[in-house]
Amino acid sequence: MLSGNGFKKVFNVTGGIKAWHAKTAVGPQDLGVDLFCGKEEPEDVLTVAYSLEQGLRDFYMTMEEKAARSEVKDLFARLSDIELKHQMSIYLAYNEISNEGLSKENFEKKVEKKAMEGGLSTREYLDIFKPDLGSETDVISLAMSIEAQALDLYQRVSSKILNPHSKDIINKIANEEKAHLASLGKLMDSL
Amino acid sequence: MKWMQFFTPAESLDFKETQSYISQHPGDEMTILDVRQPSEYQESHIPGATLIPLPKLADRLNELDPEKPVLVY
Repeated sequence: MLSGNGFKKVFNVTGGIKAWHAKTAVGPQDLGVDLFCGKEEPEDVLTVAYSLEQGLRDFYMTMEEKAARSEVKDLFARLSDIELKHQMSIYLAYNEISNEGLSKENFEKKVEKKAMEGGLSTREYLDIFKPDLGSETDVISLAMSIEAQALDLYQRVSSKILNPHSKDIINKIANEEKAHLASLGKLMDSL
Repeated sequence: MKWMQFFTPAESLDFKETQSYISQHPGDEMTILDVRQPSEYQESHIPGATLIPLPKLADRLNELDPEKPVLVY
């Protein structure tokens, strides 16, 4: 989010506060994976966004299964439902911009092709971050970091889209991701 | 289902590198940013860290100086 907003130099302290205490390097691997070079067309970004929403949904459904407390289960179920709605909005926005008139099925084929180029399964993703799935704090922290990335993505997409209606769609999704982050933050505070 | 690796590129510093970076730069020439929740910050944080919880970050970016290096955790 910082890099995308003009901050000149951003360092990710790997392992965060845990590493600070333990004085060893633990936690996420290098996250310097460059997905956007900044020259993508809005269509490309929307394709990636669709895939991201699928990933988020997949992640929330996995977490819903694993969560022990009903409050946490309910939140993840709600979040995964909303991501489904986001996917539909992104598909509609894509068709408005591209004039390709793709059916949802064909659009998904296109998304899948792109996502396979450098994708991670939820399992692989969890393997990299190694959250303690028994720890609600870890799971919610991870969900928050994913939502923050999604929010960052949409804010950057929004600035590239000229069609006002499509821009509104993306801004609405961005605001909802922001609200997701706030819900997760509240949940974290309640633990 | 596969999903994209969508992280914004940011250089990573491990504990030793972070400690060395902080000791070599005056405190007012960098921002140590803690994006966790207030309760976690209260429990422990890197000395001098500014707290802006992740849910608020997008709305509060203007509180930070984009010219200064930011160490975020």
